[in-house]
Amino acid sequence: MTNTALTMTETRSGNICIVSLAGRIDSTNAGDFTTRLSGLISSGEKSILVDFANVLYLTSAAFRALLVATDEAERSAARFVLCSIAGQVRELFEMGGLLDVFTIHSSREEALAKLG
Amino acid sequence: MSPVHEQTVNVTIHNDVADLASVIEMVDRVGAEAGIPARAVMQLQVVLDEVLSNVIKYAWPEGGSHEFFVRLTVQDGRIEITITDDGNPFNPLAQPPPKPPPPGRRPLPGGVGIHMVRQLVDGFEYVRFDGRNQITLTKRYSLDPPS
Repeated sequence: MTNTALTMTETRSGNICIVSLAGRIDSTNAGDFTTRLSGLISSGEKSILVDFANVLYLTSAAFRALLVATDEAERSAARFVLCSIAGQVRELFEMGGLLDVFTIHSSREEALAKLG
Repeated sequence: MSPVHEQTVNVTIHNDVADLASVIEMVDRVGAEAGIPARAVMQLQVVLDEVLSNVIKYAWPEGGSHEFFVRLTVQDGRIEITITDDGNPFNPLAQPPPKPPPPGRRPLPGGVGIHMVRQLVDGFEYVRFDGRNQITLTKRYSLDPPS
């Protein structure tokens, strides 16, 4: 076993690419997460929504990946937003001082309405 | 099966982040056996990812494969984790807290992990002895009420 379980599933809603995460995001798999997000941005996606509804927890390695992706998206004039950050995942964003750093919507529906 | 409220587990890992998965699994297993609340288990897993990845990053800048040790003890609603390595002196508690970014700028990654650890544990100590770094983390928890 080389990483703790994180699954990343891509779906589409019109021009929006939705990445649904499930499991834990930590230093064993944050590299895969970064690679996946970078791949989407470099392939020309202009609206990316990352859904945290099924994330158990995340560590600072995940924040690093999100900060890198936010910068890359900005350079590519792509929109990069997060949604469904609640409960203990939200507490971890707060502890990291990163709740105000990203564009975060409370639900997928709200995010899609704003991006659409 | 009634919960095992007292136990000690020792794990030896290498300076490779892939090895952290075995520690995270061990915490899941001990948490289930000892009836530690899910929230405390999750917080310990975050803490271990931060602290162990720091050891892996800083203890052996020359590279090569190195072993180090994690011991977890559960007793009387208290979890104690000791991490011992023979790498370069590195005191995570001496790291400055993350600096707030200039207005309108995003924060730079760095320092956030240890800042989170401080908020997630009840005790966080570092000693250097005998050419080794030793970090001790403690966390108290309340037993889940019987369901």
